[in-house]
Amino acid sequence: MTTLDTRPIHDEVPGNYLTFRRGLLSWLLTLDHKRIGVMYLVAVLVSFFVGGVMALLVRTKLLWPGEVSWMTADEYNKAFTLHGAIMVFLVIIPSIPGALGNFVLPIMLGAKDVAFPRLNLFSFYLWVLGAACAVYSLLAGGFDTGWTFYTPYSSQFGAGGTIPVLVGVFILGFSSIFTGVNFIVTIHKLRPPGMTWFRMPLFLWALYATAVIQVLATPVLGITVAMLVIERAFNIGIFDPAMGGDPVLFQHFFWFYSHPAVYIMILPGMGIISEIIAVHSHRHIFGFRFIAFSSIAIAIFSFLVWGHHMFTSGQSPLMNVLFSAITFSVAIPSAVKVFNWLATLYKGSISLNTAMWYGLAFIFLFTIGGLTGIPLAVLSTDIHLHDTYFVVAHFHYVMMGSALIAMIGGLHHWWPKMFGVMFNETWGKIACALVFIGFNMTFFTQFMLGSQGMPRRYYLYQPEFQIYHHISTGGSYIMGLGFLITAIYLIHSLFAGKKAPANPWGGASLEWQCTSPPPHDNFATTPRVGDCYDFSAVSWDEKKQGYVVDAEAHVAAAHHGKGH
Amino acid sequence: MPTRRSLLSPVRSDAARTVPQRDTPFDDPKARFQAGLFGMWLFLATLAVLFVSAILGYVVVRVDNGDGFIPANAPAPPSILLASTVLLVVSSATMQRAANAGRRGDPAQGGMMLVTIALALGFLAIQAVAWRQWVTQGVLVADNLYAWTFYVLTGMHAAHVLGGLPAMAITAVKAARAAYTPDNHRGIVYCAMYWHFLDGAWIVLYATLWFGSLR
Ligand code: HEM
Ligand SMILES: [Cu+2]
Repeated sequence: MTTLDTRPIHDEVPGNYLTFRRGLLSWLLTLDHKRIGVMYLVAVLVSFFVGGVMALLVRTKLLWPGEVSWMTADEYNKAFTLHGAIMVFLVIIPSIPGALGNFVLPIMLGAKDVAFPRLNLFSFYLWVLGAACAVYSLLAGGFDTGWTFYTPYSSQFGAGGTIPVLVGVFILGFSSIFTGVNFIVTIHKLRPPGMTWFRMPLFLWALYATAVIQVLATPVLGITVAMLVIERAFNIGIFDPAMGGDPVLFQHFFWFYSHPAVYIMILPGMGIISEIIAVHSHRHIFGFRFIAFSSIAIAIFSFLVWGHHMFTSGQSPLMNVLFSAITFSVAIPSAVKVFNWLATLYKGSISLNTAMWYGLAFIFLFTIGGLTGIPLAVLSTDIHLHDTYFVVAHFHYVMMGSALIAMIGGLHHWWPKMFGVMFNETWGKIACALVFIGFNMTFFTQFMLGSQGMPRRYYLYQPEFQIYHHISTGGSYIMGLGFLITAIYLIHSLFAGKKAPANPWGGASLEWQCTSPPPHDNFATTPRVGDCYDFSAVSWDEKKQGYVVDAEAHVAAAHHGKGH
Repeated sequence: MPTRRSLLSPVRSDAARTVPQRDTPFDDPKARFQAGLFGMWLFLATLAVLFVSAILGYVVVRVDNGDGFIPANAPAPPSILLASTVLLVVSSATMQRAANAGRRGDPAQGGMMLVTIALALGFLAIQAVAWRQWVTQGVLVADNLYAWTFYVLTGMHAAHVLGGLPAMAITAVKAARAAYTPDNHRGIVYCAMYWHFLDGAWIVLYATLWFGSLR
């Protein structure tokens, strides 16, 4: 191995990963997990913007119950499909592992990089290729199947861009798989001496559980969309009822992946919340093992409940009952986490930083999202609620209100670490409040719409629903404003933000013990680890305007069994 | 503030050229190898799920339709596939010998890799012949699900063989230079793992298709 050059490039600043190399190519061909994480971040946020614009178009159409001159029913179908597909496949699935996970995971382990840096870059370019396919599909006529691609509509009808977008989904699946492989191996093989599984940050437990799902569930999606492409191309296939195929088989395959996939989306978010709640309450996380094992339990259960999306598909009553029962049991580990977060907050000395605002928003919104899953898991009520706005509201509370809010909370939590600058806290809180209020206006109304029978994905609706749609659309504009403000103050901070200390919030895990932004190598020597949720050796340093961790005391406390 | 300007600065520093990129976090080559093996196992687990789901899809439509699945005068899968199966099994053995030679640093690794690639190409050629036989007998992919599943499943496997060939070729070039040594034989071992997997996957796939063609 060649020796590494960590010499500072500028005399006036210590070298960091941003200054280590210069030029566009040094980014595009980088093997540094931090830079790859930043590239994912940019890519995901751009996609989020595009998906968000589509959502606002859809919401704006719904201000009127009838036809509008500027958007036909066909265009409406394409707009909501594009919105859903972008948000699921390009944003939420890759966002936390790809952007924040990539950046933080090796540093939390005190490692120099992920296990396979080249594979990591390859995953990123697979993402880019998948996104390019989605863009191409727009030129080829767009797609209007809904993000679920149900057959036979998708195999026999559907707009001209269906095949390219399915190819894109296939490629994105492999991007996700390779990230999962990388993270599992990294966590197994690169934990530093002293970091047992039970000393590992909960964010990493969550990423680990997520990675297991990514590796074992995603190939099912891959083969399913591949078969669908072939079926569409040849006009015959195993999902084609006219030839003896089975369209419901598609639903089984699709949900065998996509239910676990909802946990690919939410588990990393839960991991972030565990970090945020503990660090900003300056209190040892309550029930570490419960939170850790509930991640694993969720990962396992998630493979056994896919049929709850198919209660009305005509699957056998016995299957319905079994899937309903197992679905209830998934709610238990989710609730375990919520109770442990609340117990951590209780008697914590809470710093109400922006990240913490997002953490609290998550707990509130996830609770609603999880609880509304229960009437959907009950057979009798689901017959009424299936394919209505109630489902739309439910999954937005969990995917957007929880997974995405956690991602944005995590972004604020690690922003000073990633870019070495502080953002404006006041604007941060204003934006968070706008997003929170706008979100609830947008989606709480949809529970009402759905329970009163408004079906999802409809262009026209009964005039009596208009008031709800008005509130909902108004809320979405408020939310949009919140995100706009967020983008402005975050970008502004890159140019004019105060310089960030190494440890602005008082964290005790390893990423807070290297400089902000971290040097190219993260750590000169493998650091010694203590209990990452023991904050007793963390104190405020007036001169540094940040917290410092007394490493000796921290490690010693862990060895004497303190802090548990 | 230089830290911030650097984010957008188009200037290239000399460091970008002089310091090679680190392509592994492991200092110890043994640890790197262990990690690679683990990664390969996970990758093969992914591929296993892929193949199992495809086969499951086949089984579902086969069972759903009973014997009506097989059209009246449809041929059985070409028996020439037995020959390709033999070739693939033999190639697995030669691949293993190549890997073993690589582990020892034995120059025989190069020859064995070449034999393996030749057998792989032979396998693909026979698969193509088998497809041709069905096509000349007038069994086309869009005719019925019996034909469709045959072409799709064998095609899927062939695509994986084809996809492995570039890696095999690179490995063979290195092996021809006896580049694999007791200290570093990662590439050839990963190659062998992938190859054995495709061997096993083919046997399961072929057996399934063959049983499925029985009335
Ligand atoms: C905590 C317990 C949860 C329960 C009991 C639950 C239950 C359900 C049920 C039964 C459905 C099917 C409703 C129908 O289509 O009629 C459903 C839909 C859905 N859920 Fe959940 N869920 C839970 C959590 C989550 C989480 C954490 C996520 C994602 C992060 C999620 C995402 C979704 C999505 C995306 C759909 C609808 C997909 C579609 O049809 O487009 N759920 N949920
Ligand atoms: Cu589900």
